[in-house]
Amino acid sequence: MIGLITRRFFQLLLLLLGISFLVFMSMHFAPGDPATIIGGPNATSEDLEAIRKDMGLDRPVLVQYFDYLGGILQGDFGYSYQTGQAVTEAIITRFPTTVKLAASSTIVAVIIGVIAGIISARKQNSWIDVTSTTFALAGVSIPNFWLGAMLILVFAVNLQILPVGGLNAPFYTLAGLKELILPSITLGTASAALIARMTRSSMLEVVRSDYIRTAKAKGVRKRPLIWIHALKNAMIPVVTVIGINFGTLLGGTIITEQVFAINGVGRLMIDAIAARDFPVVQGTVLLVAAVFVVVNLIVDIVYALIDPRISY
Amino acid sequence: MKMFRFFGLAFVLVAGLLAIAGCNSEESSGGSDGGSDAPSEITYASTSDAAGLSPIDTNDSVSSNVTYQVYETLFVQNPETLEPEPLLAKSYETPDENTWVIKLKEGITFHDGTPFNAEAVKHTFDQLKDPERAAPRASLLDPVSSIEVKDEYTVVLNTEEPYGPMLAALSHTNAAIVSPKADKEGNINKKPVGTGPFVFEEWVQGDHITLKRNEDYWRDPAEIETVTFKVVPETSTAISMLETGEVQFIDKIPSDYIGRVESLSGVEVQKSEGTRVSYLGFNMEKEPFNELKFRQAVAHGINQEAYVSQLNGLGVHNESFIGPKVFGYNEEAKSAGYEYDPEKAKQMIKENGYKGQELTLFVANRDNYMKMAEIVESQLTEIGLNVSIETMEWASFLDTARQGDYEMTFLGWANSTADGSELLYPNLHADNIGSSNYVRYDNSEFNKLVEQSRSSVDQEVRKEKLHEANMLAIKDAPWVVMQHGMVSLAYDKSIEGLTVDPTGMWSLYPVTRK
Repeated sequence: MIGLITRRFFQLLLLLLGISFLVFMSMHFAPGDPATIIGGPNATSEDLEAIRKDMGLDRPVLVQYFDYLGGILQGDFGYSYQTGQAVTEAIITRFPTTVKLAASSTIVAVIIGVIAGIISARKQNSWIDVTSTTFALAGVSIPNFWLGAMLILVFAVNLQILPVGGLNAPFYTLAGLKELILPSITLGTASAALIARMTRSSMLEVVRSDYIRTAKAKGVRKRPLIWIHALKNAMIPVVTVIGINFGTLLGGTIITEQVFAINGVGRLMIDAIAARDFPVVQGTVLLVAAVFVVVNLIVDIVYALIDPRISY
Repeated sequence: MKMFRFFGLAFVLVAGLLAIAGCNSEESSGGSDGGSDAPSEITYASTSDAAGLSPIDTNDSVSSNVTYQVYETLFVQNPETLEPEPLLAKSYETPDENTWVIKLKEGITFHDGTPFNAEAVKHTFDQLKDPERAAPRASLLDPVSSIEVKDEYTVVLNTEEPYGPMLAALSHTNAAIVSPKADKEGNINKKPVGTGPFVFEEWVQGDHITLKRNEDYWRDPAEIETVTFKVVPETSTAISMLETGEVQFIDKIPSDYIGRVESLSGVEVQKSEGTRVSYLGFNMEKEPFNELKFRQAVAHGINQEAYVSQLNGLGVHNESFIGPKVFGYNEEAKSAGYEYDPEKAKQMIKENGYKGQELTLFVANRDNYMKMAEIVESQLTEIGLNVSIETMEWASFLDTARQGDYEMTFLGWANSTADGSELLYPNLHADNIGSSNYVRYDNSEFNKLVEQSRSSVDQEVRKEKLHEANMLAIKDAPWVVMQHGMVSLAYDKSIEGLTVDPTGMWSLYPVTRK
């Protein structure tokens, strides 16, 4: 286990180095100039030159890159071109919101997905199965943007029982929970559908395996057979899906954050890309990559916990 | 049993993450939900966050919305007459064409207690002009060569050449006066200190900005106690929030949404003519657009009415480059362009020897530009041109357009000084080819007229020169004006006294809530 973690840690460092280089270069060579965005359409050429010089963009790109790397080693990820805020501060203030949203929508997805998947598998080809697979298909297909807007119209505007947007109150307060409901459902629906389909097919495979037949023959009752013996093995591929999904959500949930006016990492990144705010883009991409690797590591560890045959 | 352990672990993990999330975000939760039923508070939904809160260091309308409430300028443009009137200034005189002597009001202090005086004005303008500071709107005071403090309340601005739009420049939000003490000691881009009716309270970046009433304001304090600028990127969400009372007002309503807003029962909508102009621009350095005849033909082929009629009342058809709410406008220019006449257009294109080569409309995928492009593309196809649309995201678009790497494009100009010189000089004067003169228009007669409009300090002479330059450019057709914009506000019916000026700015100082 310790070997795995050490190995992954060094892999992570190499990966981040590679990503930092790629992102830095692609941002600098992509069309679009941060000075034009800051200066606006009415800035003169002299204004723009002064802005570029002020931001150090007039130096050779490699010099800028090594300067940036040097900063990172000292924990300095630079400052936003737009707001002058430290990149670490910009991310730290928004990351908890993103974690909150990712976690709550993962909970929604897991609860709905796993239960629907198991029921579907147990009652294969029944009307329950057909209904649940149809909903799963719809869940994957519905665009987040539309679902979010519809939920707002129904629950916030018409029924007025939930707020339209924002994610500011602590989650353990009533106001905080209310704020979480609509975005979590919006985000969780697609993942729930995916998890349901995965659980269903994995369950169907497992219940046909030899050890389940043996257990049946030995007289294990149906409920423990499904919920204990079968589910545990069926969960291995499902845990991968949940893990990857959670990692992706932590990388920012751009559309949902836009629709519900949530101040998370996704919006920070998309705004920064539009404004060619290089330091912020680089910082958020590095964070997302690091988080993704760590979440995958956790998934691997969870594997070992579920399946004793797996050891590292 | 182990199964339960797995779920238990997962639960603890998630709960732990949630707890961290909860604890951290608790600190940033204060004051954002506005309290819709408290009549002394007001929450505005902003499509994006401010870039900064220092007028010297920013140049975007979102930041200006906030700084406009916190800082004040020496002069302010009267929305009716478009003439600048004194605000922090008391009076001014121009003993000669290159000298502006400005007397300041006395007894005004900044929010940090620093007295407002000639030193503060000098500090602000020196900073605005300082190349080290790289102020995005340094060009506002470019013609000013030096700023002198004559006495405590008299400041003198010297120019090399006479500078006609001086008062318009001094009315610009980016020429607002900042507290020299706060600027030297702290970061006014994060903690603004001005003389305005509202005092900065808090900025949670990406989420909201809160201002409080200035109890020691030099005029009567404002009625509104707390103002929150909440970031709501989605227009549809902002409208829902307006409907539920989570926010009390929004502005710059896109034409696709105006119908929905107008149908809301508790909401008042204000629409009035603005200074913004949107145009189809030809790259004057590329064939066949360097030919006047060809540009005229295209102009004859465009029916602006067809576009304006799709804007649900948020645009006006007027062929003048200088809009009706901009200084220098003359009614004569209204229909001075080339009228819609597809037959004539076809004829002229034939005479021009056009052989069916592909012409590209280069379009940014934001605002109403895509809509404009689709309508214009079909109209130009009708007169026999082979037109295709190329779209690009805003930052890349600006870069490409600046380099002149296109044939036809759509752009707009907000004109935040509402002065005609500030439209014609940056957009069409040869000095600005390679920067804001995107169409690369260079006409020596036009250049001269614009220079005269800038260098005369006699406002009547300026008006005349602007009109002449305007008429000349309309006939020369580097642009075909698509529309003059409307400014819009939608607000809760409990709000009174809120008005928007033609540049799109609004002040919360006169606002009350029932």
